[in-house]
Amino acid sequence: MAAAPVRTTERANLPELALREAISVRPRSGRSFARRSIAIAALLVTAGALLATGVGHAELIRAAGFSQLVDFFRASVHPRLDAAFLALTGVATVTTLAYAVLGTALSLAIGLVGGVLSSETWWQSGTRGRRRRSATAGWAVTRTLLAIPRGIHEVVWGLLLLSLFGIQPIVAVLAIGIPFGAVTAKVFSEILDETSRRPYTALITAGASRPSAVLYGLLPPALSELFSYGFYRFECAIRSATILGLIGAGGLGFQLQLSFQALQYNEIWTLLYALVILCAAADFWSSVVRTRRAVPRVLRASNRPRRDRILVGSFIVAALLVPLSAWWIGLDLSVLWADRTWSLARQLFGAAWPPRLGADGPIGLLKLTGVTLGMSIVAIVFAFLGGMLLAFPAANLTRLVGRTKGSRLGLALRLIVVAITRVLLIVLRAIPPPVWALLLLFVLYPGLLPGALALGVYTVGVLGRLMAEAAENLDARPLQALQANGAPPPHVFCYGVIPAAAPRFVAYGLYRWEVTIRETIVVGVVGAGGLGLLLNQQLASFDYGGALATLITLMVLTLLVDFASATIRRSLR
Amino acid sequence: MGTPPVFELTDVSVRYGHVHALSRINLTVQQGERVAVIGPSGAGKSSAIGLLNGTLMPTDGRVRVLHCDLAAATARQLRDVQRKLGTIHQQFDLVEQLRVVNNVNAGRLGAWPFWKAVLSLLLPREVPKVCQALDRVGIGEKLHMRTGDLSGGEQQRVAIARVLVQQPVAVLADEPIASLDPARGAEIINLLHDISIETGTTLLASLHDVDIALERFQRVIGLRCGRIAFDAQPTDLKREDLAALYALELEPGRT
Repeated sequence: MAAAPVRTTERANLPELALREAISVRPRSGRSFARRSIAIAALLVTAGALLATGVGHAELIRAAGFSQLVDFFRASVHPRLDAAFLALTGVATVTTLAYAVLGTALSLAIGLVGGVLSSETWWQSGTRGRRRRSATAGWAVTRTLLAIPRGIHEVVWGLLLLSLFGIQPIVAVLAIGIPFGAVTAKVFSEILDETSRRPYTALITAGASRPSAVLYGLLPPALSELFSYGFYRFECAIRSATILGLIGAGGLGFQLQLSFQALQYNEIWTLLYALVILCAAADFWSSVVRTRRAVPRVLRASNRPRRDRILVGSFIVAALLVPLSAWWIGLDLSVLWADRTWSLARQLFGAAWPPRLGADGPIGLLKLTGVTLGMSIVAIVFAFLGGMLLAFPAANLTRLVGRTKGSRLGLALRLIVVAITRVLLIVLRAIPPPVWALLLLFVLYPGLLPGALALGVYTVGVLGRLMAEAAENLDARPLQALQANGAPPPHVFCYGVIPAAAPRFVAYGLYRWEVTIRETIVVGVVGAGGLGLLLNQQLASFDYGGALATLITLMVLTLLVDFASATIRRSLR
Repeated sequence: MGTPPVFELTDVSVRYGHVHALSRINLTVQQGERVAVIGPSGAGKSSAIGLLNGTLMPTDGRVRVLHCDLAAATARQLRDVQRKLGTIHQQFDLVEQLRVVNNVNAGRLGAWPFWKAVLSLLLPREVPKVCQALDRVGIGEKLHMRTGDLSGGEQQRVAIARVLVQQPVAVLADEPIASLDPARGAEIINLLHDISIETGTTLLASLHDVDIALERFQRVIGLRCGRIAFDAQPTDLKREDLAALYALELEPGRT
């Protein structure tokens, strides 16, 4: 019998769960030569990318904008708080929340089915040669089918679906649900494949059919991890729902755009505060659910309270939110099978096929690809450095190094630093990149640099949080051993924390690079340039053939970046 | 004999690459027999069980279970045979997150349509049957407990209850007591033994514990290096047979 995969005893924590979204790599022993050449290549590539975004040879900083920026920040203490605008903000917040809830629900449904269908366990239950070959083929086909929606960003889905349905609530739900569902399916299939296969095999051996055996033997152990990941996706969905607002879905993103166009700084601040509070609340909810679930049953105070009230409550609230959200945004599913939709879809495909190159031919497209790549590299390097800088102050390492003999005051100061950095990280990631881009445009000339920096600033928030959690999850024993030898905290930090955390940090940085290349589209849509801008222009001028060509280029670029990132991660592990 | 044999292995070999797990095994087990398979680690005990329940296909030779040649069977025929075989594993192979009632009902999945399987997760079906099975294995009161919260011995009883509701023709047990302490282990073997007599099912168990095998089974098969060393009634077995069975390969002189 084939060796059953061993179930990892530790539950996957958030950074590790997020990393599963990237291509999985088999660890290889690290070689210093490979590391050194990658480091040198990274420096060269970064320099090239900075040049490509215009640093050093173009006028970048708009000195005149600083007074505007000062005005903008002055408005932060005077947000518009009259009843009418607060009501408007409240409605917009609920709309954004509703889109996020429905998008997440759809993505979980897709992820559940797609995850089972793309897991190795599902396909590998046949024992004979002929069936095994067709099973491998089936597995490869489902994997590929799921890779396509994953490579296209929510905003691109939004733009495409907008052409199909017009302005309809369903557009935002599908735009979030489809790509998120594909990512969730990939993550869930890996969770399933790491779950012990023994109960499943035992049921198959007793003559159960595959669906029944999956239902009883495979899903129950893996399901809670899926829901935990679903809560994490919910945080991401709120950000996506905001961005989709910018392209017309309504909600906070839409209101932000209106206020930006009117330069109403105090309105902008009200909306930003609402957004940060919404994101912080979602982050908090999600992390409470995840940490509660991670506590092993035996460690809970007693066996008597059979169910954790907060967990059960969270699930009930989540389940209730779905119909409420559908009612709030007036979700109309009938457009899905309306004749008009189908004839429009046929027309769209007819117009898009064959893909056409624009006036500049392949060279123009290649140039824009280079620009997009450059933007993503500047963004990720900025985010990596910023994330490193903020991750350690944000990580609560007191658990790892034990109670130091330091004063109470010292400990209190430490916790204050942790709290402040965490709030900063939440703010950075709550505000979506296009909004950061609009803010940066106060002091920078329009172009690639504001786009890249906007992506970078936002990614600092995401990456800093992943890195902080990774640092908190470090193995405490080596650190305590150092401390027991009398090493003062800074030394423990340099000798214990940094060496252990660095490889994980690089892995998260590379994984976020894969996400960032997809997100360059988003800042492109607000005018930063690259393939995103081109795609937006093509869709706006009904040039569907050109849009398809751009989309294909983008997919190839995404695949190449995924592949490069996976290769580097493998040689670094 | 009137009824055809339950298990029939003819010249069966199993190879994994160059490793011979089983070499030219011939074995027939009749309805209602209680057979223990003993032998050192790596002798091929698990491979033998895998052959009999259709999870492992032989490299050579023929495996017939309940008149059916497993290598030639279609997927549907194989599943029909497997439905009539109950298997118990060393690690119990239960789903710890499910309640006991659902884990026991999992034995019925081969006979249930999919909708019934889904429904039963929410509203357990055929609860009286489950209760009866759990009472038989002595843990009737654990019906609604989460399976992972039970002790090892109790979990193995749940696994036996799962086999009971399946109403199999034969029960295969792959080292069912290797994860339990001697007292719990003896109880589990007694339970399997009694159930086999009550329901007339065939029982074939692989065991590490020679004393239990000799005491509780009508027929003992010794496997060594993929070959049958002996196949006899416990009363006919001599001390030397057993010593030779477990002798270390590298030091043939010492026992």
